[in-house]
Amino acid sequence: MTLMERMRVLSEGTKYDSCNQSAVCHAFGPDGRCIQLYKTLMTNACSGECTYCPNRCGRDSVKASLSPEEITKITWSFYRRNAIEGLFLSSGVMGDAERTAEKQLEVARLLRSQGFTGYIHIRVMPGTPKYLLEEIAECANKFGVNAETTSTINYSEICPNFDYKNDVLQRLQWTRDLINNKRKKEGFRGRIIGANDTQFVVGAVQESDREIIGTVEKFMNRYELRRPYFMSFDPVPFTPLENNDPSPMWREIRLYQTSYLLKDYSMTANDLDSVLDDNGFLLDMDPKMLLASCNPDMFPINVNTASREDLLKVPGIGPVGANRIIQSRPVSSEKELSRMGVVISRARPFIELNGKRQTNLFSFTGVGA
Amino acid sequence: MILAFRENVEGVLLACAELMQNKDCELVSAKDRDALKKKMDFTGISDVKQLGFRATVDTSKLVRHIFGSQRPRMFQRDPDVEGYISLVLRHHSCRPIELVHFMASCEGNVGLLYSGKTRIGKKYYNYMRDVSRSYHRLCMFARPYSVNGVLSVKVDSPHHIGDMFCRWLARKNPDLPVAVIERDVAWIGNGRYVGLEHYTNVPASLAGSLKFTSATDEIDDLWDMYYDSQAIHKRRNKIHAKQLQPKASASMSKMSERDRYKVERGIANCTLDNFAPGSEV
Repeated sequence: MTLMERMRVLSEGTKYDSCNQSAVCHAFGPDGRCIQLYKTLMTNACSGECTYCPNRCGRDSVKASLSPEEITKITWSFYRRNAIEGLFLSSGVMGDAERTAEKQLEVARLLRSQGFTGYIHIRVMPGTPKYLLEEIAECANKFGVNAETTSTINYSEICPNFDYKNDVLQRLQWTRDLINNKRKKEGFRGRIIGANDTQFVVGAVQESDREIIGTVEKFMNRYELRRPYFMSFDPVPFTPLENNDPSPMWREIRLYQTSYLLKDYSMTANDLDSVLDDNGFLLDMDPKMLLASCNPDMFPINVNTASREDLLKVPGIGPVGANRIIQSRPVSSEKELSRMGVVISRARPFIELNGKRQTNLFSFTGVGA
Repeated sequence: MILAFRENVEGVLLACAELMQNKDCELVSAKDRDALKKKMDFTGISDVKQLGFRATVDTSKLVRHIFGSQRPRMFQRDPDVEGYISLVLRHHSCRPIELVHFMASCEGNVGLLYSGKTRIGKKYYNYMRDVSRSYHRLCMFARPYSVNGVLSVKVDSPHHIGDMFCRWLARKNPDLPVAVIERDVAWIGNGRYVGLEHYTNVPASLAGSLKFTSATDEIDDLWDMYYDSQAIHKRRNKIHAKQLQPKASASMSKMSERDRYKVERGIANCTLDNFAPGSEV
């Protein structure tokens, strides 16, 4: 196969992995996702037997690989033309996690030795030894392992070759420690030091959204996970899960919204219980709006006296809007709120401004208020 | 009293501090001494207090003097006060005198610069965001070509951001000279590789004569193939993708233009090659 053909095969293998989104992305695909990194697998010949994965061992597909020198050359070419900001390097498991990590490390070292100052994100394999993680931490800006699911039982169902507790959770903990050490040493002044991140495959096993939200919260507290990524399960032909139903796209979007509520709005998984149905699944509605509608006793909130925490509960007010309101009090009109970035049409039913609030049917009937 | 201040961060801060002390003074602004002299000659006034035209002062001290040491953290990407002024002054519609009056009217409350509570505050906040956005769009969509080993790119922004972009590009490629051509000026970064100062500007017509190496790197086909490989057709979201890659930004380079075309029309899964003899259709 030519270099172009191999490159195409291996790049397609990473298209479901999300970029590290920053202020400056370089291109946006027709699906709206950003392309700011050259994302590639080193090889798609994998010795793992993950049941949902197109690259699983034994599945008949075109196999290809790129050498460290080839990846380095392509990365430089794209980087010089300002088409990318860095490299995202993942791989199929080449025999074992250790060998794979060694190869990934070789690419990162080669780039750095050539004076590459761009961003390098390495997606390591479950079970990568600690000494290699330490060496990767020296070259890469960000590295991490995918959790894929929420528990040992679920994990053994979809990734039978790896152990959830040891190969994934233990690695998440080491990654957290290495990142913290690096931050202490470099103090944000040197290269970008990315936070711990991981990815979940949503819908490959029958886990509920309650389990996923609980796991994300646990990871945030325990492993300082900043941002979880969700990938909707899509059945791949000639894999054990080929006859399963695909996960609806909106589920991924709602999970992202709830993860932001955990990350930026100081909510807990328990707070979000009321937006889940009886089986623990999210509905196809904005979880923050649903949460506010389920708790009418908390509203209206007085914009000029409420705490930041209470302001954040109002749909249409985000962390930036809440900060602006607090800095600019007293706020006297909706126009001012609108200029501060508040979405008035969403926030109006839940706020009180200068003693006035939007009237509703309950005000007249006196029922259900 | 008439205060004449230079249209830079230092001048604006000095004028603001002075205006807060003496609210009745009249303001005049100029880009440099020559421009000020022309203005003064035209009006026939000679008794003015000049601010920001001479020795440099510590701008962070001035900011502390005017706004205290409070730091507004409304949005993590908002720049500090000096960055705010620097960006606003680059806006093509910015009126420095109005900016100074607005800053003085904040009376030390730095939050008012960022909150958008007042109409004029919102206007200047938006100016700052406009310039910042234009700069980031350049960083996103400009694709420099290697001309005689010099990374060259032509920018066409209504705001004065060519020098900012040049610094960014030079930082990103510390081992290569870069040339950013903005109207009739070429900003040169890492100029020491071509016998110039590290960072300087030259007339645009001279940029083409700079020579570093003869290496060229044609990667357009490679990029197109990579770009196509990243799309997930089932997830195509035309409206969102168009918002992220606006039409105006797409014209910054041929590569971005092709990407934008695919955002609008989708990626063709059938090409003329499919109809060639021997191919499977």
